[in-house]
Amino acid sequence: MNAIDPTFATSIDFYVILASILFVIGAFGVLIRRNMIVLLMCIELMLNAVNLLLVAFSTYYGKGDAQIFVFFIIVVAAAEATIGLSILIMAYRNNKATDAGLFKNLNG
Amino acid sequence: MDALIVIFLTGLIGLFVGMLKKPMLNLLVTMIGLVLAFFLQLNNGLYTSPLAKYQVLEFNISQLYFSLLAIAFCMLIVLAGYQYFKRDAIHTGDYYGLLLFSLCGAICLIGFTDLFMFFLGLEILSIPIYVMVGIKKQDVLSAEASIKYFFTGAFATAILLFGIALLYGATGSFNLVEIRGIIQSGEYQPTFLFIGILFILGAFLFKVGAVPFHFWGPDVYQGAPEIVTAFMATVVKLAALLAFFKLFNGTFQDLAYFWIGALYFAIILSLFVGYLGALKQTKFKRLLAYSSISNTGYALFALLSLSNSAIGSLWIFLVGYGCATIALLTISMAIHNENDEISSFKGIGYKNPFIGFIMIISLLSLAGIPPLTGFFGKFALLMNAYPQHLYLVILALISSAIGAFLYLRLIVLSLSKDTDTESVAMSSWHYIVLGICAVGILGAWLVVAI
Repeated sequence: MNAIDPTFATSIDFYVILASILFVIGAFGVLIRRNMIVLLMCIELMLNAVNLLLVAFSTYYGKGDAQIFVFFIIVVAAAEATIGLSILIMAYRNNKATDAGLFKNLNG
Repeated sequence: MDALIVIFLTGLIGLFVGMLKKPMLNLLVTMIGLVLAFFLQLNNGLYTSPLAKYQVLEFNISQLYFSLLAIAFCMLIVLAGYQYFKRDAIHTGDYYGLLLFSLCGAICLIGFTDLFMFFLGLEILSIPIYVMVGIKKQDVLSAEASIKYFFTGAFATAILLFGIALLYGATGSFNLVEIRGIIQSGEYQPTFLFIGILFILGAFLFKVGAVPFHFWGPDVYQGAPEIVTAFMATVVKLAALLAFFKLFNGTFQDLAYFWIGALYFAIILSLFVGYLGALKQTKFKRLLAYSSISNTGYALFALLSLSNSAIGSLWIFLVGYGCATIALLTISMAIHNENDEISSFKGIGYKNPFIGFIMIISLLSLAGIPPLTGFFGKFALLMNAYPQHLYLVILALISSAIGAFLYLRLIVLSLSKDTDTESVAMSSWHYIVLGICAVGILGAWLVVAI
């Protein structure tokens, strides 16, 4: 294994727990909320939990590569939010609602 | 690498050419770019590219063949879509551009050597498809499919990223070779590693559309335009399956005792849920979506071998499956099956014997009838898994019988007499696509023989 920062070694668990809690809040939000804008926010929360986790591990191992990964995630999250909002607007024009439960035309 | 650059530039040029509103010119530019990319990949794919110096993108010989297959499928889809976009849409340029960007992602996903490239490839593959699914802006079904695909896809991405972060926490590296070395040496943090692998497995099952994460598939396939459905069912599935194979059969091979149980569960459920769900469908694209779930189950047999030996059979299987799927969706477009009902295929064998012939060989190939490619692919995959996983192979044969019933029902429908005997005309583009698909369905077993 790689060199581990000694001042960090005892406390990595707290970062993992914090990131996991944030991630679970986001995941629950996606599963139980119906407003699609809130769903988008929950997905952002999940991605940010991952960012936090990666930064913590990066410092833990004393390597920078995970921090570069975080930049990629931020870029991809921005792209996803852009696409998501434009799809939302398109759906709103068809449906006049942002409630995910109203999309019931496709089933069977 | 060169192919990737050519495809990307062609996509960009296609976006600008689209402003001229000349679909023919757009098709020409795209096809020239794809053919060029195909031959560049064939010639230079194996050489060290400038980016390979940083160990993010490298092709070995089998991955090269998979990337060629992806480009070839994309060419077929572009040709098949010409008529559709000339008639229905004003967004021709956007469609060609997004299709090519998505293909870039597929090629990254086939050649990655690093979790960076893996994640980026997956996103480059997915994000254009979120848009393409909703490309019919006025259509309620298309918008709904787009919303559903976007939210489930973004959720899966977040889960995958959490898995990757935990994997990094366990091993301290993003490089596949290094991670494998660390796993073999045993110097990893076991909790993070196992939870991370479970998360990554879940995200993959979602991306390839296997049960228990298949629920989005039928809805999205039905709502999307036929062309996009064809792309999702072939290129996306191919790239995701190969990445799945590479990561689990390569990097996590030594932990097979841990993940193989979950994979067993997913394969068995996929085999049956797909075909049983397809039996009661009346919408054609929905039926195809369910049948593709079962086909994914067969393709996942390649992962059970825990070696590289199954990769050739996976290739043959995907050739048969992809050609048949593209042919069936092209037929659906050619007969203007707007409301997507299965009954529109009634008597098609009399109305246009060529379409009828292609339809029958595609369905027989999907069902796995001997002289066709689909049979050889399925046979090779099952033979690879047979020694260790006898019960799974027996279950696959049972599910194959259900599938045969499903496909034979469609064949009977296409050969039954219809009251309306007006013959169906087809554009020459569709004839070309169907002809090439027929070659793929009838002739790929020659590759096995050689």
